[in-house]
Amino acid sequence: MDIDWLSGPLLQQLNSGVILLNKQLQVVYINPYICRRADIQLESVQGKDLFSVFADAPKAWLSRKLNSVLSLQSPAFSSWEQRQYLFKLPHLRPVSSANQYMAQNCNMLPLTEPSSGEHFVCLLIEDATDAYVYQSQLQQSNLQLQQVNRLDGLTGVLNRNYWQQQLEVEVQRAGRYQHPLSLLFFDLDKFKRLNDEYGHQAGDIVLIEVAKLIGSLLRETDLFGRYGGEEFAIILPDTPLEGAIEVAKRICQRVAATPIEYQQQQLMTSVSVGVSQFSIATSADELIQQADLALYQAKRNGRNQVVTYYPELIDSLKKVKT
Amino acid sequence: MTDLSFTEEQRDCLQELINVAMGLASDKLARFLNTFVHLQVPAIGLVNAAEIPEQFRGQYQGLNSSMISLGFFGDGGLRGETILLYQLENAGKIAALLGYDDDATSEAEMLTDISSILTTTFLNGLAEQLDNSFSYAAPRIISSRDNDFISKLEQTAFHWQLALKVDIRYELTDYSFDCNMILLIPGEAVLKLKAILDNVLAEF
Repeated sequence: MDIDWLSGPLLQQLNSGVILLNKQLQVVYINPYICRRADIQLESVQGKDLFSVFADAPKAWLSRKLNSVLSLQSPAFSSWEQRQYLFKLPHLRPVSSANQYMAQNCNMLPLTEPSSGEHFVCLLIEDATDAYVYQSQLQQSNLQLQQVNRLDGLTGVLNRNYWQQQLEVEVQRAGRYQHPLSLLFFDLDKFKRLNDEYGHQAGDIVLIEVAKLIGSLLRETDLFGRYGGEEFAIILPDTPLEGAIEVAKRICQRVAATPIEYQQQQLMTSVSVGVSQFSIATSADELIQQADLALYQAKRNGRNQVVTYYPELIDSLKKVKT
Repeated sequence: MTDLSFTEEQRDCLQELINVAMGLASDKLARFLNTFVHLQVPAIGLVNAAEIPEQFRGQYQGLNSSMISLGFFGDGGLRGETILLYQLENAGKIAALLGYDDDATSEAEMLTDISSILTTTFLNGLAEQLDNSFSYAAPRIISSRDNDFISKLEQTAFHWQLALKVDIRYELTDYSFDCNMILLIPGEAVLKLKAILDNVLAEF
């Protein structure tokens, strides 16, 4: 069977774009798929330079690439993953995201006219908008999952695991650049009694509200995490001890002065805070241990106060234990 | 089990065809890059694909390397995948030659461009020698700036029975660019390749 008749209707109805260029990169043929989307007439663009027809196309890069196809007689490719589109064409999907233009995969093929031996380059353009949209959605959900994975479900502050990873990072950074770094550990006072008296729901509300209140007192760069139960921890990067003590006192005052509403009742609570400071050769674990010791001392001193770590604390704790 | 190993004659024939393809490729690249290109006669080796990752472990471990894959299909059931391995430091040299330093082309795009120029130029030459013609899939970056380089190569090599390992050294007048190319060919295509080589041999 003779199939010469096939190429005409195929090019007319093909669901991909075809652009044929001569060696000077002038338009020889553009199929209806492209003509309709670009709103151009084949007759009016034939013989014109590709980049005068598609003024937005990346000229330097694309002409280099097309010339490589012609001179090497090897195909070249362009993928939407690296360059979202070559030509600004609309797509047929509802505009659901920022991708205003059709994402494109493009094959650039060397062709030779059999009778004259003249070289041409053919661009085959495929719509990859679906893949682009799915990929964007996937990235979006991965980002959300990553967020969820880092946060404490109840209070929305960092969870212990992620907070501890961040502490390692900050300790290394402080050591490398010799920046100050401080740590706060705090604990809600008599939280067990509050739970017993008002129920666990009230306890949860108090945790949420206290976390919200303290979060509002911190800088963007401070790392606020829930260490466990009613114990929280804050990394204060680039903060020397005096600054950290100031933050800790402010936290103490504000929590003690702010009633938390629960079923028409005003619940009062307070926090005890321990402060420690990074110095060269302090490990993340030691920093935690020191802040925790200071916190313990703040509780022993009568709660609702700030205690800064000092080495003798270790001895005083030993005395208590023995 | 079908014997995939090559006879000495077949191996010599393939080596010769690859040499010629290399010659063609270097000629085309020289014209394109406007500089003298010398492609060293490559060392080829037919190896079990499973051994490939181990062979490259030492050479690329701990370096900023890239691994780019390009699939090809020919007539007569011939098909395969080429993997181009190189250090990013080397990629910068050839990128400068290709004129990539003057615009905001992404690194990923530069890597796929370089790879497809180097591999398709060679494969077109090889296809010509085999009286065949290849069509190509778009190049794909398997790994770049990635410490997990070797394990990704392991996953890829796993799909293939036989690997034709071709070490290529591209030498340009003012630059030297080393890379490794691996031709991975699946078992059934190896049989086709052997038949094609036998045909070529019969014609001499």
